Amino acid sequence: MSTIRQQLASPLQLLVLASAGIILLPLGYVTAQALSADPVVWSRLWATRIPELLFNTVSLAASVAVVTLVLGVSTAWLVTRVDFPGRRLWEGALVLPLAMPTYVLAYVYSYLLGFGGPVEHLWQLVAGPQARIFSPHSYGGATLVMALDTFPFVYLLSRSALLSMNVSFEEVARASGVSRLSTLWRVTLPLMRPSIAAGVALVILYVVSDFGAVSLLRYQTLTYAVFQQMTGRSDNTAASILSLLLVGLALIFLITERWFRQRSRFYQTTGRYRAPQRHRYGWFGALAVTGYLGLIVGAAFALPASLLIQWSLSPEAQATLDSRFFGFVWNSGILAASAATGGVLIGLPLAYLASRRPTMLNLSCLQAAYAGYVLPGPVAALAVLVLFSKLAPVFYGSVLILIVAYVIHFLPAGLQSLEPALQHMSPNLEEVARTLGLGIRDTWRRVTLPLVRNGFVVAWVLMFLQTMKELPATLLLRPVGFDTLAIRVWMEASEEYYQLAAPSALLIVLMSLPALALLVSKDWRAA
Amino acid sequence: MTSDHSTAPTRSQETTLQGDLYTPASSVLELRHVSCAYVAGRPAVQEISFAAREGEILCLLGPSGCGKTTILRAVAGFEPVCSGQIFLSGQLVSSPDVMTPTENRRVGMVFQEYALFPHLRVQDNIAFGLRHLARSERSARVQEMLRLTGLEGFERRYPHELSGGQQQRVALARALVQNPVVLLLDEPFSNLDPDMTGRMRQELHDLLRRTKTTTVLVTHDHDEAFAMADRIAVLNQGRLEQFDTPEMMYHMPATPFVADFVGQADFIPGTVFQGMVHTELGEFSNTIECEDDTAVVVMIRPDDIHLVPTKGATSRVLSRQFRGSENLYTVSLPSGQIVHSSQGSTSVYQAGTAVELRVLATHTVLFRREESTGLASQPVRPIAREH
Amino acid sequence: MSCVCSVPTLRRTILSVLLLLFTAGLVAGIFVPSAQAADKLTIYSGRSERLIKPVLDAFTANTGIQIELLSSGTTELVNRLKTEGDRTPADLLITNDAGSLELARAAGLLHPLNMREIDRAIPAQFRAPDNAWVGLSGRFWIVVYNRMMVQPDQVKSLLDLADPKWKDKIAIPNSGSEYLQAGVSVIRATYGDEKTRQFLQGLKTNADSQVYQKSSQIVDAVAKGQVALGIVNHYYVYRHLAAQPEAPIAVLMPDQQEGGMGAIMNVAGVGIVKSTKHLDSAKLLVEFLVAQAGQKLFADLDKEYPLHPDVKTDPALVERKSFHAALVPLAKLAELREPTIALIEEVGLR
Repeated sequence: MSTIRQQLASPLQLLVLASAGIILLPLGYVTAQALSADPVVWSRLWATRIPELLFNTVSLAASVAVVTLVLGVSTAWLVTRVDFPGRRLWEGALVLPLAMPTYVLAYVYSYLLGFGGPVEHLWQLVAGPQARIFSPHSYGGATLVMALDTFPFVYLLSRSALLSMNVSFEEVARASGVSRLSTLWRVTLPLMRPSIAAGVALVILYVVSDFGAVSLLRYQTLTYAVFQQMTGRSDNTAASILSLLLVGLALIFLITERWFRQRSRFYQTTGRYRAPQRHRYGWFGALAVTGYLGLIVGAAFALPASLLIQWSLSPEAQATLDSRFFGFVWNSGILAASAATGGVLIGLPLAYLASRRPTMLNLSCLQAAYAGYVLPGPVAALAVLVLFSKLAPVFYGSVLILIVAYVIHFLPAGLQSLEPALQHMSPNLEEVARTLGLGIRDTWRRVTLPLVRNGFVVAWVLMFLQTMKELPATLLLRPVGFDTLAIRVWMEASEEYYQLAAPSALLIVLMSLPALALLVSKDWRAA
Repeated sequence: MTSDHSTAPTRSQETTLQGDLYTPASSVLELRHVSCAYVAGRPAVQEISFAAREGEILCLLGPSGCGKTTILRAVAGFEPVCSGQIFLSGQLVSSPDVMTPTENRRVGMVFQEYALFPHLRVQDNIAFGLRHLARSERSARVQEMLRLTGLEGFERRYPHELSGGQQQRVALARALVQNPVVLLLDEPFSNLDPDMTGRMRQELHDLLRRTKTTTVLVTHDHDEAFAMADRIAVLNQGRLEQFDTPEMMYHMPATPFVADFVGQADFIPGTVFQGMVHTELGEFSNTIECEDDTAVVVMIRPDDIHLVPTKGATSRVLSRQFRGSENLYTVSLPSGQIVHSSQGSTSVYQAGTAVELRVLATHTVLFRREESTGLASQPVRPIAREH
Repeated sequence: MSCVCSVPTLRRTILSVLLLLFTAGLVAGIFVPSAQAADKLTIYSGRSERLIKPVLDAFTANTGIQIELLSSGTTELVNRLKTEGDRTPADLLITNDAGSLELARAAGLLHPLNMREIDRAIPAQFRAPDNAWVGLSGRFWIVVYNRMMVQPDQVKSLLDLADPKWKDKIAIPNSGSEYLQAGVSVIRATYGDEKTRQFLQGLKTNADSQVYQKSSQIVDAVAKGQVALGIVNHYYVYRHLAAQPEAPIAVLMPDQQEGGMGAIMNVAGVGIVKSTKHLDSAKLLVEFLVAQAGQKLFADLDKEYPLHPDVKTDPALVERKSFHAALVPLAKLAELREPTIALIEEVGLR
């Protein structure tokens, strides 16, 4: 028996299966390698590294989760429920830290808070010449940097929850004689819970897979340890074992995030949208709010950005702006563009088949594509490296395997905007085109593609941005002559040549800003 | 074309009616024993046969999940048939072995949500399928459709800038501009405000008549079906219960399901004795010629029961529902049986009033008792997909 | 499949397969590492880029041969060479550790050289017997101390650093560092596993979180007084002093006591990759690096000890003749490596 859908599927189906295979195979290889490892290696790792690494990773994730929760929810509440001068400005500014890669923020803070750094000098003026502040190369430092960098995830999700929430709930509570604070506590926050939880889970996923910040702050996490094992050992067994643990850990958080996102649908309320009423604060209140937001945005973006600018203007930094530097820019651009294009080309059929022909097979293929979420950079690199060296060594050391690693790693980010774009488009639109005399290909060209174009563009930009900032996989897989801006930042910053790292870092931040604006404007419209 | 097209349970007078209702020679659309299944072995619709004549408005009526949308999608070529055939203009388009692609069927379709292309203006939506025409002819056709549908002045708007009614008209215009062999409408009024629906029904009816478009309309609302259709096909659980004119449907329902679905009806149990049906409400003639002692039910519509307040009468008014032009009374018979009666809006009786019931026996329909068991809570298995 | 649609579907399938093949071909054409131009050398370098690039730039200026440099970790690069096999784009391997070079030689990755220039310039103990790798400069694993915080007589041997009195006062490189691995190998060869384990345990406790990825950071931490002592290669100290002469740091040459182990020496070296297609150019570079001028450049730039007997050491450095080095042969570092790593991991150094 044949249906229209089956006819449409067959060539695509092969492509989708192949994509899913390319994504899953490396993970399978790493898993196999880890599981077939000598038990002696396992027990040695258990006895020496694993408990410490697990503890460090989980405790960092926990503390960052708590801090981002407080920062994200409080700022979201202020910009949606309070009226104060410059509110709209702050509303946008709170997203800016997302343009700052963690390793940039980490290196700025290791200067600021570092031994003999400016903050310590200030503190010594107050507390005496022997006074010390806490070292950024510590649990506290890593928490601070990661939290400042990732709280916008919680902020964005909380903000749209607050904006899309039916105001009637709050009004009912107030009508029942409940105070404003109590309403916040008993009605607003519980209603936001799924969004907040999804945001926090996202943050945790980010922290667990971060390499840049922890490597510069010398805080030992699983991701960092995988990288160290890969670069310091002649065989990858131990790295595979740690990778497997890391994947397991990330999977737990991914499932949690999914679960909460599912729940947040139930919490979404229908009914006509009404803008929430914002209460106006007096000048003192407004000043306090502005100060609070200013402190956060300043610490997470303004201060680091101005330091980067200042360093970039130094003569040492200016001297690095030669043809080599522009080579790095070109490398960054070409790699990111290839990865983004590859990601969209692979992601589109996956998302299309899963939404138009949701068989078990197609849905599984799509889920497989989300594996990148639980493959932190070094693991993705390890996976691709192991796979290619076994199956297609021809490509080893070529740009191709780097791009494959990028695509695997960042496909989820792209799918997250491709998938809803396709889902929001009713299949009726394609069907009606068929009744109007268009064949399958014309329907794709004149209806499907134009309608998913926005999702398409956003997905591309997102993957471009992520790839441009990517560090560990690039470090491990880059071919000769393919140093990127991110690599330069990391290399210079890890030897504490702050000025020399600044131009590259600044350029990454600047290039991230328009992309960020695009993404945020999408979120703005959606809210 | 001499195959048996009887679908509903055979009844004596229906066979005579079928002769003139059914004229396959001129049919634009014909379904023969069509079955469709989303899951093998669990048909969403089975053994559906009907035909639509040139210019006819045909309505598929049934509760949600009865398979009416599935039939529409099968006609459009979105769903394959697992047995039977579908003919459009006398040509076989669907059978287990043949599947003409939608774009070659020349069907027009208006979806429940209209499915206007959000990235195109009104005029481009309407002209979407006219690529093969010269620019001048294209715009002439679009202009004509805009005029016909009363959308002049809106051609440069985007769909999201239109009201629901306007969107529906654009969707119609887009389908009609193709001169489709048959126009398929899937619950066209379900997304409109109720006060708008009445007007749109009238407009649509006029437009279809003027353009002489053969139309198949899917709805779950019998008022809508009555207002629009030349003939109605009532579906239940994937089967065709009755295919008839609206009037026959109302007054001569083929099955208790149809009787109940197309309007308020009460079912009074009775027994056949000496050629007459004896019930609590009196005697009725034995139209289905049962033997004595057969258990039967008599279907009576509220407008066939007249109430006369009588002191000492054994029936009591339980409640009154004011409906503007009429009052609908719920009355309890001595046995506890509940019946409904509609009276003029001026006759007002309080709850508890003792009333005598007079029944206009001409409009009653008789069913055997076993046909009607479980009628009150007709289970609707969700075997068919609605959208 | 229906009869109506199978033909176009088939055609479409064939078309997409062709398209796929075409794209694959295109991708392969662009992305597979291509053969390099004749006058271009690709170098995998485990040395920090800023320590090697000026020397290579000088070579390019002299010969016109362009150089493509991939800087990364030494072990990582050896792994990479192993995986890439004959397809590697690399022509030469430069590392900061003789053990890694010896491992690469043992794995058959390096090209033996029969060059009189090498035999004349570099003493035999600093190169492989078949000249598959050649040492270029000597470095010593020393203790750097902050003059304000430590008296030089407080530390005699590296092993003293395990003493609890240095708790939280010492910075060490991470366990992936080849210097650390080589250093521990020499200590194991000299004192045996048990004593080495005690040393490492003490070191781990004392250093705690002061474990650095880069030696320059260790020196920096000592200079700032963040820690009192650090273990690094000597040239990091002199490079720091060259940039900041007033920094309160000094080099302490350990294990010089009577009968002591001697300072732990290692060399940075170079080897030509076996599969190179530019053997002549590669030989030119090796020749350049071992010749007096190259040795001078290499050693002075990095504040290392030149291996060429006729080239003078930078006067800022401790006179080479004034201390003695440990007696473990460089080539032995390779075979000592694996058990050393096992020991380091067992102790749980980061």
